[in-house]
Amino acid sequence: MTGIVDADSVTKRYGEVLGLNGFTASFPPGITGLVGPNGAGKSTLFRLLSGQLRSDAGTLSLLGFPAWGQGEFRRRVGYCPEQSALFDWMTGFDFVATLLRVDGFSRPEARVRAARAIETVGLTDARDRRLKAYSKGMRQRIKLAQCIAHDPELILLDEPLNGVDPVGRVALSGLMRQLSTTGHHLIVSSHVLYEVERLTEQIVMISHGQAIAQGDLHRIRDLIDSRPHMVDLETPDPRGVARLIGAWDHIVSIEFTGPEKLRVLTRSPDTFYAALPALVVTEKLTIRSVHSADDNLDAVFRYLAGGGR
Amino acid sequence: MSIAAPRYGGAPVARTGRIYRLLTIFHRELLRRFGLGTMLVVALTYLAVTLILTINIEFASLTGTLSLSTFETPYASPAWPFLMLIVATSVGAGSIAEDVGNRSITLYLSRPIRRVDYLAAKASATGTWMVIVAVGPGLAGLAVALALGWAPASLVLSGAGAFVATGLLASVFFTGLALALSSLTTRSLYAGVATFGVVLSLEIGGPLVSGLTGNTSVAYASPITDILSVAQSAFGISGPYATDPLTSAALLAFAGAFLVIFAGWRISRVEVVGE
Repeated sequence: MTGIVDADSVTKRYGEVLGLNGFTASFPPGITGLVGPNGAGKSTLFRLLSGQLRSDAGTLSLLGFPAWGQGEFRRRVGYCPEQSALFDWMTGFDFVATLLRVDGFSRPEARVRAARAIETVGLTDARDRRLKAYSKGMRQRIKLAQCIAHDPELILLDEPLNGVDPVGRVALSGLMRQLSTTGHHLIVSSHVLYEVERLTEQIVMISHGQAIAQGDLHRIRDLIDSRPHMVDLETPDPRGVARLIGAWDHIVSIEFTGPEKLRVLTRSPDTFYAALPALVVTEKLTIRSVHSADDNLDAVFRYLAGGGR
Repeated sequence: MSIAAPRYGGAPVARTGRIYRLLTIFHRELLRRFGLGTMLVVALTYLAVTLILTINIEFASLTGTLSLSTFETPYASPAWPFLMLIVATSVGAGSIAEDVGNRSITLYLSRPIRRVDYLAAKASATGTWMVIVAVGPGLAGLAVALALGWAPASLVLSGAGAFVATGLLASVFFTGLALALSSLTTRSLYAGVATFGVVLSLEIGGPLVSGLTGNTSVAYASPITDILSVAQSAFGISGPYATDPLTSAALLAFAGAFLVIFAGWRISRVEVVGE
């Protein structure tokens, strides 16, 4: 594997609980979304990548360096943690400037960069306020500021939009896209799938500590094409339609979801979509709507996480 | 709200060295501990030690009995070491525990610093506070006495040496103890109670066990007794000492260093786990 981040069979245990369970994935350049529900192992992976946890098995590298350790390569990495605990006794400006100095910038350079990064995330007016007075959304933004202020090559963002207001979400998403176009590589975790879908088509899906799918959205869709695919039909004669399509060998199940609604599970969506119009014509059926329940990323995730059931 | 990514054009910026980065954490930690409670204890210590010292120096000067042993009066009771203990608890107990407990340590550890640097910065900050409270008051008292012309400079210099030696040993011990206990928990309250509890139980238990068993070497287990013995010896008091001053000094230094190393070992193994 030769990604920006490479994970090979990475396992991390918390006592009896498995945080990561043989996680294998390669994160390519650009923006990659790490998608999974709460408790899937996203934050565990980020903590491993930021050198705060040591894996129990497997190998994990970022920018070609082993993830465990505090080497100089860390200055090429920006990390925006999920937790909201910061150095609350500091002002926002001191917070960013201090971490820049820990990164190795001189005091004047740290001050210039801190001001610039704080301006970037829209907190200039609040920069001299103590962090303990910051709202959750402001904390997210100041965390992002400290993460990008040293111009890192790789930016790890753990649930960066959590708690940010809708306007801020749009702005920060735009900033992330902009960063990716200026040579930065971003790994963005989220359990809110539509947010990731709007950021990138490059996805790693994680569930129960394992990567269940990886690639762009199209590849993931290809992956699920071999699995049962859900289609909702609306027709005034659901029983008649069910009787006809139930004869097709690729149909797994048919469910009556309403008086005029059917949910069909097929192993071959392409065949289904090709055969349905012909059936409508030959049998003079009335079908008001055809809707694939797997059109959005959320459904794709549910499919993969649930093993296609 | 702006959405423009910052631009960092031009030549690559030269980075500062490891010591500078360590000093940044040290500086921040030092300032962080400027609490009202800590400042009150420090002020009380300076006031009490300076007053006791200058009054005794003036009295000895008037009666013609001024000697190096006159300067030992602040160490005539365990009060000063107890004030040091309070400051150690106040500034050192939360030093690591708070960062690990609220996981803000991740902000440091995701940077290009070594864990040992993080510990060194924390130890230096706590140690500085300890030196302020364990060495400073004695020197302040001597400075006042010198300024008022109550003691000759040569004697004040010897006294300063004794205050520095005793205060540094106490600082090393209390710094090590507070950091080691801070590294064992994620709650500063627990670390603080433990720091106070360990010293108090050794202080009370040591002489008790020593009296019951007749084994005088148990007295070495009491750090405050050790500090007082070292002070008596440093200020030229001929004894008898509760413990051998040289052995006590070695024990304080060794225990302090060992406890800092222990804290370092703990920090090297810290894994920041989520909620």
